[in-house]
Amino acid sequence: MAGSNEVYANESRTVVPLNTRVLIHNFKVSYSMLRRQDGSFDRHLSEYLERKVPANAKPVDGVVSLDLLLDRPTNLLVRIYLPAPAVSGNELPQQALLSALQRPPSPDPFPVIIFFHGGSFAHSSINTTIYDILCRRFVTLCGGAVVISVNYRRSPEFRCPCAYDDGWTALKWASSQPWLRSGEDAKLRVFLAGDSSGGNIAHHVAVRAAESGIHISGNILLNPLFGGNGRTESELELDGKYFVALDDRDWYWKAFLPEGADRDHPACNPFGPNGVKLDELPFPKSLLVVASLDLTKDWQLAYAEGLRKAGHEVNVIFRDQATVGFYFLPNTNHYYEVMEEIRSFVNSNC
Amino acid sequence: MVDSSYGQESSANKSISTSPEIDGLLAGVGYAIRPSDLPHVAERLEKLDSAIIAAAAAGLPPEFLCSDAVHYNPSDLAAWVDSMSMLTSLSSPPIHPAPAPWPVQIYAPAPLSTPTVDLLAPEDAGINLVHLLMSCADSIHRDDHPSASKLIHEMQILLPRVGTAFGIGKVAAYFIDALDRRLRPRPSPPAEDEILYHYFYESSPYLRFAHLTANQAILESFNGLDRVHVIDLNLKHGLQWPALIQALALRPGGPPFIRLTGFGPPEICEVGRRLADFARSVKVPFAFTRLDEIQPNLLRVEPGETVAVNSVLQLHQFLSDPGSPGPIDSVLSWVKALRPRIVTVVEQEADHNRPGFLDRFTEALFYYSTVFDSLESAAAGAGPEVYLQKEICNIVCCDGEERVERHEPLASWRARFGRAGLWPVPHGSSAFRQASMLLTLSSGEGYSIEEVEGCLTLSWHGRAVISASAWHCGDGVDAPPLAGNIFFNGYSGSDRRE
Repeated sequence: MAGSNEVYANESRTVVPLNTRVLIHNFKVSYSMLRRQDGSFDRHLSEYLERKVPANAKPVDGVVSLDLLLDRPTNLLVRIYLPAPAVSGNELPQQALLSALQRPPSPDPFPVIIFFHGGSFAHSSINTTIYDILCRRFVTLCGGAVVISVNYRRSPEFRCPCAYDDGWTALKWASSQPWLRSGEDAKLRVFLAGDSSGGNIAHHVAVRAAESGIHISGNILLNPLFGGNGRTESELELDGKYFVALDDRDWYWKAFLPEGADRDHPACNPFGPNGVKLDELPFPKSLLVVASLDLTKDWQLAYAEGLRKAGHEVNVIFRDQATVGFYFLPNTNHYYEVMEEIRSFVNSNC
Repeated sequence: MVDSSYGQESSANKSISTSPEIDGLLAGVGYAIRPSDLPHVAERLEKLDSAIIAAAAAGLPPEFLCSDAVHYNPSDLAAWVDSMSMLTSLSSPPIHPAPAPWPVQIYAPAPLSTPTVDLLAPEDAGINLVHLLMSCADSIHRDDHPSASKLIHEMQILLPRVGTAFGIGKVAAYFIDALDRRLRPRPSPPAEDEILYHYFYESSPYLRFAHLTANQAILESFNGLDRVHVIDLNLKHGLQWPALIQALALRPGGPPFIRLTGFGPPEICEVGRRLADFARSVKVPFAFTRLDEIQPNLLRVEPGETVAVNSVLQLHQFLSDPGSPGPIDSVLSWVKALRPRIVTVVEQEADHNRPGFLDRFTEALFYYSTVFDSLESAAAGAGPEVYLQKEICNIVCCDGEERVERHEPLASWRARFGRAGLWPVPHGSSAFRQASMLLTLSSGEGYSIEEVEGCLTLSWHGRAVISASAWHCGDGVDAPPLAGNIFFNGYSGSDRRE
């Protein structure tokens, strides 16, 4: 608890490269300026401070991107990343891009990754630079995947289940697009992926997909955000030590969950007392990445346990001495080895 | 222990070229910081964090958490952290005394326009129309007029199927017409310039954003000064100035003496008279002068006067074909010679000055389809479209001196101002907040404002449309102060707190 005036020594000094430390710590400090005690959020300052990058039809390291409006009433934008299409003759890159979106299913299978960025449901957007970089990485990592980054509505302005609804809308849209289908059977080979709150969203969209008969090839959850009313050992032990404090976790849940709900709400605690039974559903295989220095790791491990008990396959990648956000900068073993696990998971389930 | 076997991998996003002195990985995610500054910044962040925790424990937010604190250039992490530390009076002095032109910059070359969101509506006819438009432009680019004419004819047949009431059909209609006019020039119908301008002003936030952000920067730069001279490079209908005059009237300590020099045709004397009447009504000492064109010998700057130069959607008219000399360099020299405290510039965020016709056409097609899409949300009617049509026709039909709509993106302007010896003055978070609130109160969903290296950009669905920047001339003239404790109530009339 942050009840004492004791200054926590920053233990991350010894385990995190200096530039990562500065990056994540900067997020922590600036985010604390945005959360107000009455539950409101300084959205203007948040947008001002975030670093953003536009979509680009010109290939950058072989990847192009474009923003697409899926739903006008909710302003649901997605950013689509794909391998730069071949340009024929005097064609401009934009023409090639437009043509790519009109093409029929490809005979060669390729994965489609629907990605939900993190930010504890309140921060970041599809054009936030850290996430733009990550999505571009996924395209080339998975041998030419199409990545669809979803600009879901954020709290506190929009509470649960708006983000889940937006994820569902994106999935349904992807299912309707011939150009996203591939292989002999012209199938949509779709993975749901996300970090932090994005991981939580991926889970809930996967549940909806399983209930509706849309096949998901796999879930990729990076430090997904789960919680509960109880305090776990890791929460108490790691509170405030590696960029994350329980106080802020509580704030974000309060801002996201329906008014009056507590953290045993199934959105937060899917295998808790109010959880939905997944036993009979065709829930996808999961790749779950847990960082040992993430204070929510016990909830993530409990999530894995919940999946197993319901008869669903989950591969837990437990990274010892990794903190939150290790996947933002390519400067540790954690980064490279986890990327390889993701690549392998996508390839074998595509 | 940290595995240190991984050196600095080059940034995954190679569209960003960075100076070698900054951390490449952090540059890739939008932050410019020297490796040598990392330990200092890390330490400062730790102290700030502790201060926040301690304050929270005492039930108080620390000073820098209050919404009055103004932030500048978040990409310059070292300076930002220092400014936050100064606000909390943490012991050691800052390493980067503000305001400095920040030493390192992240230059991301302008991205290639992507098709606007609306092009990808389900009906294929819309996309086919775009393909035809680009083929036609390509034919013109290769001087193959017979093919171009044929394609125009084809498009005119396809157009009713797509529909011109909204969406891609509507903007396509204007571009097909422009292509036709290029092949077969004919006089345009006379247009009521002032009325169209007012339609555009009212139906979309672009001009109001331009005026608000420029005025905020000018207001802040005039803080504490008694004699000020605003030079408007294109006065037009003077819509920008009543709000500034009013804000200066209300400032604590009373208004300064304001001189306004407006460039434009004789008709603007009437605008000047109206502004003088208004200034009188709010008891602001005011004088107006009209000038025809930029001639150094005609402009009078009085001793003791502080100068602000303002240019909204107009500086691009001094550009010429890339590579050939144009008036812009001498204009910028003239501006710099005035030793202005601030130069406010608002420009279309578009790449319409490319030498190749096909490139230019494609950029314009996607840019204006975004702008038209945003107007649709305001149910604006034809007025603002006709206002924009003039720009479209100029870009598509004209060449040489006749082509005046030579929009270039912020990255190009930044380089040009740098060469002219003008340094950026960052728009702070207070200007950002004001502009953001303007949007929330008066415009459709889908607009957003972004901060990019001190400049503010107004975007529609993620596509930048217009950008606002501010500059000062360095050498000897004090840069405007960082602290913005003057708030500009703009057009919303809202209180400065949300």
